[in-house]
Amino acid sequence: MSNLLTVNHLTMRFGGLTAIDDVSFSARNKEITAIIGPNGAGKTTVFNCLTGFYKPNVGELLLHDGSLTHRLERLEDFVVAQKARVARTFQNIRLFPAMSVLENLLVAQHNKLMLASGWTIKGLIGLHSYINQETQAIGLAKYWLDKTNLMNRANDNASDLPYGDQRRLEIARAMCTDPRMLCLDEPAAGMNPKESAELNSLLQFIRDEHKIGVLLIEHDMSVVMEISDHIIVLDYGRKIAEGSPEQVRNDPAVIKAYLGEDEDEELPPKVAADLQGETSHG
Amino acid sequence: MSVLKSENLPPIIKDSFITGLITLILAIPIVGLPTINATEGLQIEPRWSVVIWMVLAVFLGRLVLNFWWHREQPSSSSTSPLNTPFLQSLQQLLKFIIPIGVLFALILPTMPFASRYVMDVAILVITYIMLGWGLNIVVGLAGLLDLGYVAFYAIGAYSYALLANYFDWSFWICLPLAGVFAAISGILLGFPVLRLRGDYLAIVTLGFGEIIRVILLNWYEFTGGPDGISGIPRPSFFGLEFKRSSEGTFSSFFGLDYSSMHRIIFLYYLILALALLTNFVTLRLRKLPVGRAWEALREDEIACRSLGINPTNTKLTAFAIGATFGGLAGSFFATRQGFISPESFTFIESAVILAIVVLGGMGSQIGVVLASVVLIGGTELFRELEEYRMLAFGALMVGIMVWKPRGLLAHREPTIRIETEGSS
Repeated sequence: MSNLLTVNHLTMRFGGLTAIDDVSFSARNKEITAIIGPNGAGKTTVFNCLTGFYKPNVGELLLHDGSLTHRLERLEDFVVAQKARVARTFQNIRLFPAMSVLENLLVAQHNKLMLASGWTIKGLIGLHSYINQETQAIGLAKYWLDKTNLMNRANDNASDLPYGDQRRLEIARAMCTDPRMLCLDEPAAGMNPKESAELNSLLQFIRDEHKIGVLLIEHDMSVVMEISDHIIVLDYGRKIAEGSPEQVRNDPAVIKAYLGEDEDEELPPKVAADLQGETSHG
Repeated sequence: MSVLKSENLPPIIKDSFITGLITLILAIPIVGLPTINATEGLQIEPRWSVVIWMVLAVFLGRLVLNFWWHREQPSSSSTSPLNTPFLQSLQQLLKFIIPIGVLFALILPTMPFASRYVMDVAILVITYIMLGWGLNIVVGLAGLLDLGYVAFYAIGAYSYALLANYFDWSFWICLPLAGVFAAISGILLGFPVLRLRGDYLAIVTLGFGEIIRVILLNWYEFTGGPDGISGIPRPSFFGLEFKRSSEGTFSSFFGLDYSSMHRIIFLYYLILALALLTNFVTLRLRKLPVGRAWEALREDEIACRSLGINPTNTKLTAFAIGATFGGLAGSFFATRQGFISPESFTFIESAVILAIVVLGGMGSQIGVVLASVVLIGGTELFRELEEYRMLAFGALMVGIMVWKPRGLLAHREPTIRIETEGSS
């Protein structure tokens, strides 16, 4: 298995604040790589650098695409999605609320359809080549609606969906761009245990069937520990540990970052319970 | 429906009474005690009867309103205006209204009541409908608040007037050129404002509208400045002019008696065709990737970027296409008036066009039609009110916004639907 993404010495400063400090890691194709860490550790900043929303101060972000290598830090945000085919979701859901679920998925296929519509001219006349391409796009949208159990909401406005459905729609929308790497920013936030379990199988399906790399930021340890192939732990902008779920779970630096130095010092109760629970039956 | 519970009666009367009292307090100094110029200087001439009538009118009006508000509400689940039967019936209604409206517009000139005045008002209303539809692309679909739309209208009008004056080109050559010039200026406006949104964008576009007007006003050698341009050629019907002459005119070719109405009716059909073209193109674009990208950009620009949509191109196409229709309408305006000056392209025009889009319901094509019929046609109806006309215009706008805060027709239909199992 080859590397999909190589991050070398990534550093991002906001004024005097160093959000990410010399972080290097790599992610592989057909694997789920999780980035975890306490709040404010710089996880979302890594994503924003990868997807071109931030320009890092130092570092090299290489996306390997066969013989080609895209230097993500040099590309504009929409070019990252267009050329390097990196798709992402957002921590606070960003759908197109007043548009229908199906329209959300068609907007995701914009570049392909724009080409087919001859930059609007062919589409305006109504040529068949465009109509065929649109039918195919609807087919792809239907496929992902089916995979995310949203088929019966296809014509509803995205804002009318319940929270969990909106999260899954965002994943479906990202997948409709036909990505090579999928970056998910806390996909399980606000989901109940049943929904998290469904999310797990959806992400495993994406990894195994579509053979792409998945990069995952998540606080929900039941998701992270179960489906991740590789985990990177950040704290205060530095990488403190890396490895398989088993290695990371027992790493003293990770335990220190999550639970503090002394065991009786302000435990974040949920994290503690999750970590220990996973350890005991894992 | 309108059964009233008896315990509601005292508060209703009390509320109406208080409203009447407030009117009385306000009306005594403002309405009741006007000053008049008499020979001995300013004098007060009380008008108590007017005050009494006003108070009575407000009291009774409030009473009626209160009864309306307090009428027995049917169970809350079925009163929601968004329930499906209501929407379905509305959609069925719209299906009939659109063809009937287009048909009515087509046969309007043959109607017995179609006098010169009626046709002039109809042309005015349709011009605003076209402008509203053009601006709807920028504001309603792409969500870019444009307060300077009248600049494109002006560019279209001056393009035609200047090309016709300097080069003697015919209207039919100048019309597309006016559209092209407006589109280019739309792109020029678009570039500096690409990073701006909302209020900031609105201010820059406001400035752009003023820049164009000030240039037209001050470039005396080229545009005639405040004198404007007069003697703009009228359009011809495939080379046949509308003139009282025996050779090569519309009336002589068709063997008709000359009538000044011919040209008016021709202009009417011209603007109707232009407006319908605008509508056709807009409806078509909405269903194409570029139209969906505009709406997506309105909804969430960052999400658009994350999906690989180039926001620069998308915004520029919205500006350019919206401006094109403004330019076409401007060129029509020039040929209809025969005279243009910077006076016609003041900020208030932009505000009226924007009001039409917002009152109609952002992004709604039929909403624009309704709003311009109500606002432009309605203002014509109020012409008899003379100096209170603009007051009525303002009251109408406030009324619509109170009654329908999201515009007359705020409902948005998805551009595409698929069959789903089980539910509709």
